[in-house]
Amino acid sequence: MVSVQTLTWSDAWYLAPEIVLSAFAILLALLDLILPKRVNRNIIGWLTLAGLLVAAAFVVSLMVSLGGLTDTDSAPSTHSLLAGSYRIDDFGNLLKLVFLGSAAFIVFFSLGTVRDEDVPIKAELYYLILPAVLGAMVMSSSGDLITLFVGLELLSITSYILVATRKRSRLSSEAAFKYVVSGGVASAFILYGMSFLYGLTGSTNVGEIAQRLGTAVESAEALVYISFFLMIAGFAVKLALAPFHAWAADVYQGAPAPVTAFLAVVAKGAAFAMLYRIMINTAFLIPGTDSLISKDVVLGLSVLAAAAMIVGTAGALRQRNVKRLLALSGVANAGILLTPLTLNLTQVHASMFAEFLFFLIAYAFMNIGAFSVLTMVSKDAGNETLSGFAGLYHRAPWTAVAMTILLCSLAGLPVTGGFFGKLFILFGTIQSQVYWLGAILLATTVVSYAVYFSLIRQMYMRSGSTDSSLRLTLPAAVTIWVCAIATLGLGFFPVPILEGIKEIFAIPTDLLFLQG
Amino acid sequence: MSTFFAEHAWLVPVFPFAAFAILTAMGKGLKRTGAWIGTIATFASFVLSLCIAAERLAGNSPDYSNQFEWIQVGSLQLHAGFEVTNLSTLMLVVVTLVGFLVNLYSQGYMKNDERISTFFAYVALFTSSMLALVLSDNLLTFYIFWELVGVCSFLLVGFWYQKPEAKAAAKKAFIVTRIGDLGLLIALLLLFWYMPGHALDFTALHNVFDTQSGTISEGITTLIALLIFLGAVGKSGQFPLHVWLPDAMEGPTPISALIHAATMVAAGVFLVARTFDIFEASQVAMTTVAIIGAFTAIFAATIGLAQNDIKRILAYSTVSQLGYMMLALGVGSVTGAMFHLFTHAFFKALLFLGAGSVIHSVHTQDIREMGGLGKKMKITAWTFGLGALALSGIPPFSGFWSKDAILTAALDDQPILFIVGAIAAFFTALYMARLYFLVFMGKPREGQHAKESPSVMTIPLIVLAILATVSGFVETPFNGWFGHWLTGDETEHGASGLVMVVSAAVGLLGLYIGWLMYVKGSIRRDAVSSRAPGLVTLLERKYYIDELYHWLFVKPLHGLGKALELFDEYVVDGIVRLSGYTVSGIGRLNSRLQNGQVQAYALTALIGIVILILAIAGRRFW
Repeated sequence: MVSVQTLTWSDAWYLAPEIVLSAFAILLALLDLILPKRVNRNIIGWLTLAGLLVAAAFVVSLMVSLGGLTDTDSAPSTHSLLAGSYRIDDFGNLLKLVFLGSAAFIVFFSLGTVRDEDVPIKAELYYLILPAVLGAMVMSSSGDLITLFVGLELLSITSYILVATRKRSRLSSEAAFKYVVSGGVASAFILYGMSFLYGLTGSTNVGEIAQRLGTAVESAEALVYISFFLMIAGFAVKLALAPFHAWAADVYQGAPAPVTAFLAVVAKGAAFAMLYRIMINTAFLIPGTDSLISKDVVLGLSVLAAAAMIVGTAGALRQRNVKRLLALSGVANAGILLTPLTLNLTQVHASMFAEFLFFLIAYAFMNIGAFSVLTMVSKDAGNETLSGFAGLYHRAPWTAVAMTILLCSLAGLPVTGGFFGKLFILFGTIQSQVYWLGAILLATTVVSYAVYFSLIRQMYMRSGSTDSSLRLTLPAAVTIWVCAIATLGLGFFPVPILEGIKEIFAIPTDLLFLQG
Repeated sequence: MSTFFAEHAWLVPVFPFAAFAILTAMGKGLKRTGAWIGTIATFASFVLSLCIAAERLAGNSPDYSNQFEWIQVGSLQLHAGFEVTNLSTLMLVVVTLVGFLVNLYSQGYMKNDERISTFFAYVALFTSSMLALVLSDNLLTFYIFWELVGVCSFLLVGFWYQKPEAKAAAKKAFIVTRIGDLGLLIALLLLFWYMPGHALDFTALHNVFDTQSGTISEGITTLIALLIFLGAVGKSGQFPLHVWLPDAMEGPTPISALIHAATMVAAGVFLVARTFDIFEASQVAMTTVAIIGAFTAIFAATIGLAQNDIKRILAYSTVSQLGYMMLALGVGSVTGAMFHLFTHAFFKALLFLGAGSVIHSVHTQDIREMGGLGKKMKITAWTFGLGALALSGIPPFSGFWSKDAILTAALDDQPILFIVGAIAAFFTALYMARLYFLVFMGKPREGQHAKESPSVMTIPLIVLAILATVSGFVETPFNGWFGHWLTGDETEHGASGLVMVVSAAVGLLGLYIGWLMYVKGSIRRDAVSSRAPGLVTLLERKYYIDELYHWLFVKPLHGLGKALELFDEYVVDGIVRLSGYTVSGIGRLNSRLQNGQVQAYALTALIGIVILILAIAGRRFW
């Protein structure tokens, strides 16, 4: 039996980022109640941004104090809390930085962009981002099925509300409803799968489950299979992998644009974090068997990755609505992001996390940038169709150029972060000799050119209905250009960044709970 | 012994490149200012080149090179850098000087062209690439700039793209030189494969082929040398790839002077000189170079006799003179080749610019429609005359000394090649006499109001005329200073009275016969054509080489193209259409799934998981 370990004051330092987010969330909710109606709620947006940045600063200082950034060879730079159910390690910290940074950008560009007529409860849109990010952070930092699930639900439930913040829009309410139902289905799948694991091993701690899984397989192999595949299905819904992706387009379309970007980047990244935590520790490393189950789980994941790439790309080809188009492009990208995980750990391929994280960072920048452009354009055109982009080059040449960079990155053209992200993952498939997956990655990338070029063609070669120049709000302009330049930066210095991630991150200490 | 300027030699190509960048960025708004930007940048390069040259002339400066790691892939390293040797210094001075004068001249010649700033941008880009080519310390960067000058040549030949002839000529120039470039590329790959440590820098090439001969087998060495020579044949318009150069005269005349007479076409000669150790390691290659060179020299000179377009005559003359340079290399005289390159750059640029001045004035290129221009265009006529004397190899003009150096080397090596060279020299003098007398002497044509060109055009002519006259004195049979400076060898050729007499005699004889035919009239002009009309037609049609290529290569390739087009249309497009249908089919399936019914989504998810479990896990329990 594991003795119950409670939190002590000294643990507060390790939980500082999480505590900061909770405190800001509560205080801002109260502030929203107290402030008189006439006060512009943008102040809450700025405070939300401050909370995110303070939390990020704490994450960085934690990484420094644990030695994760400086010394890689010495003792593991991790810290375990609550009997291993919560872990501070570089896996979690790097992902937390991605989540906090992305959320900060999203809040920043919605300042001055989100209008009261569209989102009457603007304050809630801002401060609800905080608990959502908190959920995502718990998902990336947890080593216990229960904590993981709590994090997942915290993220999901706040996201449901966020999707519904366009209160006057029927589309928004419908999207929120669909998201609740689909999210519920996903949670049910995951919880059902987890309950089998608990039943078979008698523990919710991922590390202990891993140790006891060997005997469980001997006694009830079929149940282990069902457990893993139920969880995979649940995550597939969360990640919008085909054929579990149908909700994504509807929800993305209905939600306010910042929330859509949040779902596409943070919610998806958090689901990946949880998938990594669970799968690598349990399904991939079952002791004492010939690991047929490991192989099958890997195969199941790679089939899903392939299906997502194919269906996402093909579906995006037919879309005229840009938000739905980006939703389906997100489906394809989720398949690409899943690919490194499906490349078997036991082989030479040990840099999968670095490849995943590199593409996740590139994906975050290009999506946030693209959604920012889309927000400005659709607000001006009054709709979200492709034709809204017609003649953008003549109305706002610089924005069109930035969008072109972002689209090139999405399409995977050099010299952009998207190109190298895909290239590294493609190299991974070749190193691991999973050629068919690499081939699908390559083929869908080629087809996706048609998707993104149709947008570029609209911007440069079609004339729009109006010639008046498109005005950007300052935060939106800054966000768009930071994203475009960062995308290019990832393309110009891909190797140092990838090597940097590899330097910081080491699978045995930062992701695995089993020692030795 | 200082290397201060040599260390900054990389700036030489940077100036014109900056000019190119500015001209491209600022675009058409600049007009006349743009022309000055190009001119000043080239002048800056020229001054710096002169400083480098002065530095190297002052003392026995060691070669200076500077390289950095460019690309590293695994254990493979590629370096890039620049190297300042006496050979490259010479080229720097020639390219920047001619470049500067051509820039100046173009200010007048291109004055009324709408795209004048584009023209100067292209010229700046060309100058920059050519200088970088000269400075390259390894074959890979050399090759990159080699291609870049080719692109610039393409752009400038086709500068007046409204004219279909110019468009066709640009295309022809590009395609024909590509054949040679392909040879160079294969040579590069072979070297990369066989060289120890995959080194491609010239120093390593020198070490391997000169001092450690035998590292690479003789057969491969010959193959590499011949492939490099193929590249030079394409670029320097040697037989059988000479066909593009006369057509390239469709470009503006200053371009003909800069690219197609003085600099780019000489790059092939420079290439062979730069990789001369490889050639020296293979007797077969040397003989090939010598024979091709000699044959091209006489072959192009005979064609030059029967042409009527002033620029085409000069173009064939260029081909012929480049043949001389190749001949020099083939008989082992780098000094002779580079010396002739040096003098030829001046007098041929002068002749082209002079021709440009004439064309500018009378608006035709046909010498039969000209005459008596000497009285109206005094400066042009005088300077052109000096250039013609230099080209004809009349002592003491520069061309005499450099041609003499080549012929002496040929006589030492292969007397038969000397005879060919001497006959070609006779033809050279003859066609130049014909050209000069028809254009500048005789009666003026009615209705032609020729007048002298403005001073921006005549000043470059005067400068070049002086150089064409005196530049030969750097190397005479009595003074081997140039060759010593260039190659370090003490005495490469001693005085040969026989060669000097023969060379001067054939030149003078050519001029005299020309004078008899076209001025005095004591030999009738149709003396040859009336007796052997076939021969003249053969020359006029340039030995039917173009027609031959048309039937031999162009037509069959067109046929192949047609066949491939059909293949493309039915097989490739068919596959593409099939993939298109497949993808859009999947997309349609996806749309059917996304019908907006959330219960359908959940049902799909359920079906999905069942299929997944059955397909992947189920097969274990079958």
